[in-house]
Amino acid sequence: MRFKSYYWSVVLVGLVLGVMLSVQFRITRDVQHNKAIQRAQELADQVEQMKKEHEVLQAQLLRMRGQLEGLSNESLSPQIKEEMELATIFAGLTKLTGSGVEVTLRDSNASQKFIDNPNAYLVHDEDILKVVNELKAAGAEAVAINGQRVIAATEISCNGPAIRINKKALAPPFVITAIGSPETMESALKMRGGVIDYLQFFGIQVSVKKLEQLTIPAYSGSIKSDYIIEADIDTEFNALNQS
Amino acid sequence: MKKRIFFLSISFVAVLSGVILGYQFRATSAGNNVVPLDREQELALEKKSLVEDLYEMRVEISDLSARLDQAGVGQREAEQALERELARIRRFAGLAPVSGPGVELVAQIHPEQDGPGTVQPPKDITDEHLLKIVNELNKAGSEAIAINGQRITPISEIRLAGSHINVNGTPISPPYHITAIGNASAIKSRLELKGGLVDILNEYGISVETQERNEVMIPAFAGELNFEYAKPLKEN
Repeated sequence: MRFKSYYWSVVLVGLVLGVMLSVQFRITRDVQHNKAIQRAQELADQVEQMKKEHEVLQAQLLRMRGQLEGLSNESLSPQIKEEMELATIFAGLTKLTGSGVEVTLRDSNASQKFIDNPNAYLVHDEDILKVVNELKAAGAEAVAINGQRVIAATEISCNGPAIRINKKALAPPFVITAIGSPETMESALKMRGGVIDYLQFFGIQVSVKKLEQLTIPAYSGSIKSDYIIEADIDTEFNALNQS
Repeated sequence: MKKRIFFLSISFVAVLSGVILGYQFRATSAGNNVVPLDREQELALEKKSLVEDLYEMRVEISDLSARLDQAGVGQREAEQALERELARIRRFAGLAPVSGPGVELVAQIHPEQDGPGTVQPPKDITDEHLLKIVNELNKAGSEAIAINGQRITPISEIRLAGSHINVNGTPISPPYHITAIGNASAIKSRLELKGGLVDILNEYGISVETQERNEVMIPAFAGELNFEYAKPLKEN
């Protein structure tokens, strides 16, 4: 009997030791896990810092562009003044106001019901691309998506649930604003078999509002030209004067 | 003796479970209130894009400040600075021709119609395919793009109208030659990524040949500029 109880307590201690070891092992893993978490936290802090810097530089950039534009108003050459105004409007570097439409795209409610492919019921980069293209075809003079001005180099990329436009992550709902003829743009979107029909087939919720007046912000990113070779300014200007 | 062994082993086990509980608790509470792990990759991507962005902004700011300095020197210098700025904006808007390194793409229906690997019988290249190609080129950081000589501007449409695709209101027809200025190898590798856009288009029977070029010429937008509805909003 005495031998037996000794035997049992050894078994018990052995069991406990085993549990302890496994727990210890898990804790060690958790600590490594923690390092990864620390790294992510560090990264998040850096990104936060850079975003602040980004804002500061963005404001500086806009101010400097404004200063140069202001100088063109004092310019002796009326041609430069006129060209500058037209070019900045066209390029997307000025805030614009006018009549137009506001199109709102929301993810489908059906996504929960059709678990097989919920992806089909979310707003995708392609959907936005199509709506923007349709608006341009209907004569839109300026377009913005959730306040991001669409310029020639604007990309629309899908990144999980968020969509990136002009490198900014935007979340749904997506509000596309366009300046132009409200009637022409609305009827182009609502055409039978058109973009809205297509989107509604997938249950995407689309609403179009005609507006007497709306404003579209200026492009606030950088003007990237690392690869474009600057032609001789003089020859460019001669070409300009001849045309 | 028997009692003592029993007592000792019980206390031993109790101490151990206490320690284990303590560790467990600490490990659990440490896991809360921090950035989830899967965010790390996302953050790394965001950081990368911010680094690029900040660089571009600094380049432009130093450019602009040089121009503003120049403008402060005198009237003649100011005019020159303005001409340079105007030229830069016109290139950016698509109002001036540009050249530089980049890629040239030819998109067309596969020449051998019944070749293997086609899921669907080849149809026509649609406006949607071209839209996707242009969007992909922009994702890869292209600085200027044209399709069959039509410059892509902020308000260019790519849209089927009757039997043709219109770009800038001008009908174009296949094969489609798309030129883009930018980092040629980065653009090409992005397009030709496994499962990337070229792969997807291939499945629809569309072939896309991408050539890297030391110099591509991209013409200016040839249309008229008239703004009937939009008015600039001056901020004070």
